[in-house]
Amino acid sequence: MKRIADIPGFPPLMACIGLLVFWDLVARYLAISGLPPAWDALKEVPVILADPEQLLNILSSIRRMVIGFFAALVFAIPVGLLMGRSRAVAAFFNPLLMTIYPVPKAALMPIIMLWLGVGDVSKILVIFLGVSLPVIYHSYQGARAVEQKMLWSAAAMGMGAPARLLRIVLPAALPEIMVGCRTGLVLALITMVTSEMIARQSGVGNILFNSLDLAQYGLVYATILIIGVMGFVLDVLFEKLREAVAGWAQPVHQIAVGSA
Amino acid sequence: MTWTRRAGELAVGLLPIVLLLGLWQGLVFLKYAPPTLLPGPVTVFSRFFSLLGDPQFLQHGATTSFRLFSGFALAVAVGVGLGILAVGNRVVAAILRPLIRVLAPVPKIALYPAFILTLGFDHSSKIALVFVDAVFPILLATYQGALSVEPKLVWSARAAGVSQTRALFTIVLMAALPSILTGCRIGLVIACIVVFLSEMINSTDGLGYLLVRAARNFQTVDMFVPIISISILGLILNAAFNALRARLLVGYPEDN
Repeated sequence: MKRIADIPGFPPLMACIGLLVFWDLVARYLAISGLPPAWDALKEVPVILADPEQLLNILSSIRRMVIGFFAALVFAIPVGLLMGRSRAVAAFFNPLLMTIYPVPKAALMPIIMLWLGVGDVSKILVIFLGVSLPVIYHSYQGARAVEQKMLWSAAAMGMGAPARLLRIVLPAALPEIMVGCRTGLVLALITMVTSEMIARQSGVGNILFNSLDLAQYGLVYATILIIGVMGFVLDVLFEKLREAVAGWAQPVHQIAVGSA
Repeated sequence: MTWTRRAGELAVGLLPIVLLLGLWQGLVFLKYAPPTLLPGPVTVFSRFFSLLGDPQFLQHGATTSFRLFSGFALAVAVGVGLGILAVGNRVVAAILRPLIRVLAPVPKIALYPAFILTLGFDHSSKIALVFVDAVFPILLATYQGALSVEPKLVWSARAAGVSQTRALFTIVLMAALPSILTGCRIGLVIACIVVFLSEMINSTDGLGYLLVRAARNFQTVDMFVPIISISILGLILNAAFNALRARLLVGYPEDN
């Protein structure tokens, strides 16, 4: 007999329900206006999603996130792979990357806004910066770990260096690259929300603080729920993609956390 | 690796940093960028060093550090404690694993308004945010590190008459230390970033607030200084943590 906990998706579902019930009970027990019961917040979710203006806001946030994410992949994966295969390239980039690692990327928002205005470009640039670093790091680690003998065999069969990078190093490093992309995806969402909370122009982060200023607490919590679900769903979808693309490799238990 | 090769690599590595700083200074020097939009690195860094003697600036820095370390200390205590418990107790693990699966990819910064509403505008909401952001890497690293501890170590201790709880804390915790310290280092840098962002979004003191205040008054030099301060703090803490790790784990390979 199959145990109930083995059904995929069942434990996370239980965790969600458990969290909501816990929140509801605490809210009813404390009875403060700053923490409405979970049910009240859930009721607001369809209200937000049915409002065309809000929905447009959320969709434009997602659009910026997707553009920033893919722009970062196009830049970061080749850089990481080159770093992994060439000592000189790695020596060139490593100290720079180590120096900018603890810089809060979303905090650059006010400065970038001075230069590029409050439009999409600034926000996409910040997301790009946030995503690039983990993707470079993991592509680097993946490319470094490629079995040297495979490269020698390819070279012996007359494969040139660019072809080796594309046809040997890239597929061999793919599982590790996917780990980087997963961290990058979570980071893209975090950077997106944070930059919108700082810039206060449009997007999900702006809905959050506008409703806070207007004391619409149910709306605040509903927005938090929407962002939370987005994070979880993106992660699950990406895990499916990883299985499809690099399913032959051992699933790597990787810490999918990060911060802008 | 020979000494000369290492020195050569270091020089190559410093090159892009020097080039970037040179480009930055050059843009300002050749008047391509107006100084109101992009003050030169010399101006910014001299302002940073002069502010290091300013008690008001240091007060803001101390506020930020207080929030940072309170949140981080809480995260270490809860993260390591729960991680070890989850390895020792199947029920705790069964509850914790799906919770982590759901909560880890959620952008914790979105919880900040909820913390403001429930904990107020002062220290506690920021400390709570730092805590939830830093606790997941620490918890995951502890759990994964403790799971991969050689079971024979525990069996021998148990055979020698050590109680289950004691084995957990004297053997599993110690054997998982490399992984735990890596998790803590990641959590510390995250804590640095998050405390700064939380102060930028909603605060009346701290380094993040200084940046927002400068942005409102269009003082570009003062906008760069807080970012540089928090980044240098992050770099120092990161380096200090690596030194601590090297001291605690003599002979264990370094991690990147």
